[in-house]
Amino acid sequence: MAKTLTSVSEIERKLAALRLDEERGARQRTSVMTHIAWVPEEWVEAAEDVLTGLAERHPSRTIVLFPLSGDGGLEGDVDVELFGRGAGRGVCTDTIRIRLHGTSAAHPASVVEPLLIPDLPVFLRWRGLPSFGDSAFEELVDTVDRLIIDSTEWPGLPAPYGDLGKVFDRVAVSDIAWARTSRWRSMLASLWPQIAELRKIKVTGTLAQAHLLAGWLRSRLERKIEMEHEPADKLVGVELDGEPAPFPSGDPPRPADLLSDELDKLDRDPIYEGAVRAAVT
Amino acid sequence: MTVTEEQRQENPLTVGLPLSRRPEPCAMVIFGASGDLTKRKLFPALYSLAVRELLPEHFAVVGVARTEESDEAFRERMKAAVQEFGRDEFRDDVWERLADGIRYVTADFMDTETFFSRAAKVLTALDKERGIPGNRIGYLAVPPDVIEPIVEGIGTRPSKGGWTRVIVEKPFGHDLASATELNDVLHKYFEESQIYRIDHYLGKETVQNMLALRFANGIFEPLWNRLIIDHVQITVAESIGIEGRAGYYEKAGAIRDIFQNHLLQLVALTAMEPPIDFTSDSVRNEKVKVLKSISTPGPRDVVRGQYGRGYVEGEEVPGYREEPGVDPNSMTETYVAAKLFVDNWRWAGTPFYVRTGKRLARRETTIAIEFKKAPHPPFEELAAEGLRPNVLLINIQPDEGVSLAIGAKVPGQGLQIRTVHMDFLYGGAFRTDMPEAYERLLLDCMRGDSTLFTREDEVVEQWQLVDAIVAAWQRDRPSFPNYAAGTWGPPTADEILQRDGRAWRRH
Repeated sequence: MAKTLTSVSEIERKLAALRLDEERGARQRTSVMTHIAWVPEEWVEAAEDVLTGLAERHPSRTIVLFPLSGDGGLEGDVDVELFGRGAGRGVCTDTIRIRLHGTSAAHPASVVEPLLIPDLPVFLRWRGLPSFGDSAFEELVDTVDRLIIDSTEWPGLPAPYGDLGKVFDRVAVSDIAWARTSRWRSMLASLWPQIAELRKIKVTGTLAQAHLLAGWLRSRLERKIEMEHEPADKLVGVELDGEPAPFPSGDPPRPADLLSDELDKLDRDPIYEGAVRAAVT
Repeated sequence: MTVTEEQRQENPLTVGLPLSRRPEPCAMVIFGASGDLTKRKLFPALYSLAVRELLPEHFAVVGVARTEESDEAFRERMKAAVQEFGRDEFRDDVWERLADGIRYVTADFMDTETFFSRAAKVLTALDKERGIPGNRIGYLAVPPDVIEPIVEGIGTRPSKGGWTRVIVEKPFGHDLASATELNDVLHKYFEESQIYRIDHYLGKETVQNMLALRFANGIFEPLWNRLIIDHVQITVAESIGIEGRAGYYEKAGAIRDIFQNHLLQLVALTAMEPPIDFTSDSVRNEKVKVLKSISTPGPRDVVRGQYGRGYVEGEEVPGYREEPGVDPNSMTETYVAAKLFVDNWRWAGTPFYVRTGKRLARRETTIAIEFKKAPHPPFEELAAEGLRPNVLLINIQPDEGVSLAIGAKVPGQGLQIRTVHMDFLYGGAFRTDMPEAYERLLLDCMRGDSTLFTREDEVVEQWQLVDAIVAAWQRDRPSFPNYAAGTWGPPTADEILQRDGRAWRRH
């Protein structure tokens, strides 16, 4: 492995050098965003899986942050990936991996800010339950345009949705668990107006999906709806007042597409926000 | 709690859900289904739409042609075509769903009575079987001489309930008189809003990107006029020959095959005023204004050519007159170049140099906007030797994208200026596959959106210009062939620009 880089300016110099590397052929950099991933130790493997192929669809600068304990300082390395675009032409995107120790893990914004691509949106994918209130999370939320989470990864639901609701005015939020319910929401919407008088929903799926679907129905139908949850690793069934709802048509979205689709969105999603707020009540 | 009428109408659950982009159920009837277009473009496009779940939930395709064929044989042939020409990985489950609704009807187009009663039976059965409420798209991929009986057949037997739309493939007539006649035939049975004249160039993503580039960016539009732009060059170059289509090409030539439709549409998109919105009529109103303002070029400003023997990609290729099916003394042009003027306030005096040809040095469709030189470069003469004017180059194919040529300082002592390119590669920023033009156009027609189709008045204007050019050609007989295959066309085409102190772009 190449020499470890220990400062932001070293990382910047390395990026510039790699882009000018003649042997790598084409040096065109095309980016539509900066994508930051916050990856605590327990999520390292899963995070690498998602990153593979992401740059292929969304050419971006990806900054992967690994928070670690210790005194302070950082260790970085930089990759420039090339994607062929026909004879003699190619597109390169950068992936910067930085291990943050001690104080730099507590204040990551100061590391990330100089590395953002100017004028383009910044997305933050936070693996696991965010440390709401901690300086690392608070700083990064104020640095980025969109926070992407997967509340399926969160323990102790629905309480953390209460904390999440407090950041809605500061940053647009995407939840992959919510995206996974999209087909079912379309199907449930097709049951209007009968569904307007719903009293109880039973969801066989993840706990996050159960809370989000119930929250969504409560907020949209403006009524109290009881929720019962039957654990399963994916959403496989919904009962409305004891009656099974029809299975939605079409194929479920592929896992690789879920994050990618969220990266196409830039605005706040008030329907999701309403569902999260109503999930806690 | 009871549900009020108001609540019934406003379903709160649909807010924020992805809108269903699926068109209404319909059946598409392809006339001329044994042709190349059906195999190479239409079925691969329908399959790609099926993969993305964009076809109507209830959908059927009926292929119609003279050749005797069973439903099963037609399905098998189209399956092979999708496997060969499709851009997506072949999936049996997707194909089976599509194939379920595919039928084939053998037809003698001249014997409309027998044929239409047979087709009607198949369609009625399909409607019932697949829950289609009588919506029909008739795709006319047939030679011009059989269009009339088919249009009459569809027009006099409207389906019960549901809409009917017709897609007409090019060539749309061969001159103004025949195009007007064809329009009259169509209008006898259909409203203009039911007629979709296809120009597949308009379905290309990069052609539509021209609209985004011009009207979504504040920086270009203020420069987009005769004061800042020196001239425009539009090139539609093909490296292939006529690919066995001598029968069609001998009559059409480059002027009817490409110039009349694709090239003039590119001129219109480049020169049009900003439309008030992107509804189909707003966009087409602006395009037609441009077409109306193009003046007929004088004889010295139009050059035609025909290729002789030459080399393409290292292989020797025959001249046009040696191609199978071509008259050995043919006077059909395979190349046209012209200097056009758009006579309106924005473009007065700014030439649009356009050219198209077969067997040129490479395949390329580009629009190059060449800006005026800096009025007074404060550099020594030698320093700016390598400096060319700024060019905004829109690459439609291949290498779809936009590039801007700018002058930059060469690093080192002194002040030496050179031209460099800033590139935006379309596929580099958006790494999703670009849909084929036919996918977009078929889907638009199913949804009833005719923005990317050519309206009657556009066709009329395009033919008026072509007729005027062709009329002047009757007076002389150029010595053909006048360019070798694999080159950039006849030298006389260079003279059009040389007389103005300009040159075609280097490649």
